[in-house]
Amino acid sequence: MKFKLIIATTAVALVGAVVAANTQRDAILSGYAAQAGVSGFSADAGRQLFMSQNTGGKPATPSCSTCHTSDPRNVGHTRVGKVIQPMAVSRNPERFTDPAKVEKWFGRNCRSVLGRECTPTEKGNFITYMMSL
Amino acid sequence: MSQTDTKTIPVWDIFIRVFHWTLVLGVSTAAVSGFLLRPTWISLHVWAGTSAAVLLLARLLWGIWGSKNARFAGFIKGPREVIKHLKELRAGTAARHLGHNPLGALMIVALLGTVFLLLLTGATALGGVFKTGPLGFLFSYDLGTTILRVHYVLAIILVLLVTLHILGAVFEGMRTKENLVKAMITGKKEARESDHDLPEVSSRPLWVTLVFGATLALLVWGGIWFSAKPPFGVPTGPMNPTYAEECSACHIAYAPSLLPAKNWGTLMSQLDNHFGEDASLDQKSVDEITTWLFANAADSVDTKPAHVFSRTNPTYPVAITETPFWKNTHRTIPDAVFTRAPIYDNGNCNACHKDAESGAFYPANISIPKETPQ
Repeated sequence: MKFKLIIATTAVALVGAVVAANTQRDAILSGYAAQAGVSGFSADAGRQLFMSQNTGGKPATPSCSTCHTSDPRNVGHTRVGKVIQPMAVSRNPERFTDPAKVEKWFGRNCRSVLGRECTPTEKGNFITYMMSL
Repeated sequence: MSQTDTKTIPVWDIFIRVFHWTLVLGVSTAAVSGFLLRPTWISLHVWAGTSAAVLLLARLLWGIWGSKNARFAGFIKGPREVIKHLKELRAGTAARHLGHNPLGALMIVALLGTVFLLLLTGATALGGVFKTGPLGFLFSYDLGTTILRVHYVLAIILVLLVTLHILGAVFEGMRTKENLVKAMITGKKEARESDHDLPEVSSRPLWVTLVFGATLALLVWGGIWFSAKPPFGVPTGPMNPTYAEECSACHIAYAPSLLPAKNWGTLMSQLDNHFGEDASLDQKSVDEITTWLFANAADSVDTKPAHVFSRTNPTYPVAITETPFWKNTHRTIPDAVFTRAPIYDNGNCNACHKDAESGAFYPANISIPKETPQ
């Protein structure tokens, strides 16, 4: 009886956490949609951005895949060997749930890879791609 | 006494023989690890020294309450006796001493004294330079490095003394026509009529064992107690949580003691181009991290890394891997080792230095990992 209760509580908590994370992520996406003035985003365009090779940014980081590997479901590593947890939401449900963290890393990494800020459309496409895997 | 077969008599007791050959082993291990092996062998060197210290303690007690040929009071002679022995050697009239002769006794004192000084200077250098061992709480890095030079000179002196000791044994063996190495193994020498022998005394092995056990227990207890004290000039406060969160997102949490405050200031003002990446942070976090780095920077820490990395490279004032000391100590490691998985970059100190984030970088904690598939 007690055991079943623990299982049930844990399951509810887990589902609750996932629902909360999804809600937070949806809110972030809606924010970018509002900024961009669009109604939806393209996972395919996000994939192209992720895989693109660029020359505008810092020479050591021409692409997102430089550190995150070409499959966002994989564990990546920074240039100095620190492990980066997967970007794909299916592998790492905490991704894109903290707006300040999302903005901090888009800010840094868009400037490092592209040499400029990303547009709200690019950010929305990127997150949509990470949710599609 | 007119037997034709030679009579042998015991000279070196079992303690002296075991002591002699285990000290040979201890000193050889210390010499090889100190002079020839890489610094990563420092643990072996320290254990060889510690073993020699235990042996020396036992020898000192046996020199007071041991058998007649082991007792310092019996074999150590004044300058007059030494000069007399030298004159007799020149004249070819010197009789054989069953135990140590007056000149050999001088050598024993010199050898034991030098080993004792090596132990003292070794423990002092270990404490001052690496902030470890029983004297880590007491001595500064500057004193440690000075004493380390004395330790090195003493080690060379000991090598010379050992060489002289071996030559002396060979000379005396040829002069008295006996195998002195064999005598130090069997403990026995052939009895001869004109031998100098010492008056009989009764040794007190039980008493020596008791005093040795008590002294050793006291030394071990004291050693552990002193080793646990906070190291001299090394802050032990916790890591700033903002620093841990923000800075170790991309790389190891470098110990703040690895750069002087001035260089940390430069680094923190250039986060938009941080080693070729944008690592911008909000101003509040920048201020908090900078304040903490300044308070714990190399200028106020007495570890070896804090001292050696303070000599930064003017061309790259924020890169530890560009300092003269870093380049010199890593020069034998091929570049390919640094770029392979799981190291990836020479800035990933933790990959090989297991204690990198503490800022200690003790040589025994170095281990270069084998390549892993990416």
